[in-house]
Amino acid sequence: MNRFTPGREVVVVGVGLHPFGRFRDKDLATLARDAVLESLKDCDVQWRDIQVAYFGHVYYHGMSVGETALASLGLTGIPIINVENACSSGSTAFWQAYWGITSGMYDLALAFGAEKVPGGPVTVTAADSPERFIGGDHMMAGYALRMRRYMSETGAPASALAQVTVKARQNASLNPYAHRKETYTVEDVLSSRPIADPLTLYQCCPTSEGSAAAVLCARDALGSYGLDDSRAVTVAAAALTSGNYNGRGSDHSAFSPYRTEPAAIAAYEMSGLGPEDVDLVQVHDAATIGELQQIEALQLTPKGEAWKATAEGRTALGGDLPVNTDGGLLAMGHPFGATGIRMVHETVTQLRGEAGPRQVANARVGLAQCSGAGDVTTVQLFKR
Amino acid sequence: MSTHRNLAPVSVDPARLRLDAADGSAGTLLGMRCLDCSAYVFGLAVFCQACTSSRLEPADLSRSGILYSYTIVRVPPSGWPGAAPYVLGEVELPEGPHVLAEVIGADEEDLQIGIDVKLALQKVTSGESEKPRIVYKWTPANCGQSEMREAHN
Repeated sequence: MNRFTPGREVVVVGVGLHPFGRFRDKDLATLARDAVLESLKDCDVQWRDIQVAYFGHVYYHGMSVGETALASLGLTGIPIINVENACSSGSTAFWQAYWGITSGMYDLALAFGAEKVPGGPVTVTAADSPERFIGGDHMMAGYALRMRRYMSETGAPASALAQVTVKARQNASLNPYAHRKETYTVEDVLSSRPIADPLTLYQCCPTSEGSAAAVLCARDALGSYGLDDSRAVTVAAAALTSGNYNGRGSDHSAFSPYRTEPAAIAAYEMSGLGPEDVDLVQVHDAATIGELQQIEALQLTPKGEAWKATAEGRTALGGDLPVNTDGGLLAMGHPFGATGIRMVHETVTQLRGEAGPRQVANARVGLAQCSGAGDVTTVQLFKR
Repeated sequence: MSTHRNLAPVSVDPARLRLDAADGSAGTLLGMRCLDCSAYVFGLAVFCQACTSSRLEPADLSRSGILYSYTIVRVPPSGWPGAAPYVLGEVELPEGPHVLAEVIGADEEDLQIGIDVKLALQKVTSGESEKPRIVYKWTPANCGQSEMREAHN
């Protein structure tokens, strides 16, 4: 658990996003660079002023892709760190950039991420792992196990889970960056191809390509770089945890549904904010069940009741607890290295009041949460 | 036709399954018990996952447990050597750990959270030159099949 006290206040000054989808004619480094250019343009920061860069990605596209992506902007000699932390790689890069500044080491940092996820079921282990014979290494099968258990314990109907996708698609239909923009009914979702019962295809996030970037600055250094705080969004907390012993004794795939709790508690403590202060939420909805259990682990609803909040429309745009306002993983798609920073992009855009047709009214506090294999969890809080 | 049947089988993962017979017809799930906090871990370990103590003793785990959850995997991951769909079960052992493995010998209507399951071993081969591997599986406790089954892939 995080025992360090934040020092300098950190703000996000610029965000950039490349559309999520399939871009077969663009290599990973080019994809990554394009989001970086957007983020620099967003805040008018000069590349030569950036003092450190963290790059999140998972799949192998050669060594030091972060350096390759940034070399085209100029060789400035700064530390560039390539970060792999499963589906939390992007949010981990952001966490490192935050701590690099709040600790006093840097004034201006870049966090960016990109991915080209291959199609088909996502596995965690290497191709020669015994897991391949055992059959337990299958991300969506893991979510399906949790989903059946959740439905059995809470009485949640299949329609409430499908509603998570319906809501995600509605939000994404307002978002030109989303991989999947078509809207669906509950019936469409439930009758889509079964992947791992009770999960159907439309309840699983698409494997995607895309990139995202964020420029972070110490608030007390804004003036030194010609920046002002008119569009700056404060990072109120950035917490990162790995797995806690949960009694399940380590079969790697039997992961705990509520592993987000320690990171959530740390983030609330760091920020002095609580679940009641949060106006909008981005969570790791790799599958429909993921969104419900993350909402509960973040203490935004009581345990076992996020499905009711969803069924009642509370998590939709216009509800009192808007979740995954840009479409989330389910509709934006999930390029692992980019996802965590895509959540930062959406939160910052909303808190600036620049989200257009999907703007949440009076949004002042936003939360972003990402999960990854290894029980990695990040929770960040932002405020205006 | 194939030569692999003459090769001695190996455990799919010697850190988790010990073969108790050379032909792989008997085996035991391996675990560790912490002498300080009594927590169990599935598989061999050097430190306790609950309290980080290094005072651990090997402990053979139970051959039966309760089905905590299950899914029917329609689209298998790459490298899966078996047929699809297959049933994946998360089983809670009396010692605490949850163990994921395929559930065999069950009709879909037999599957239900909370049913008793028992350990089953299956010989799995993939490729002519590979030694057959003994893979641990679960099967409903009321399933009358013998422990050892052979998969022909």
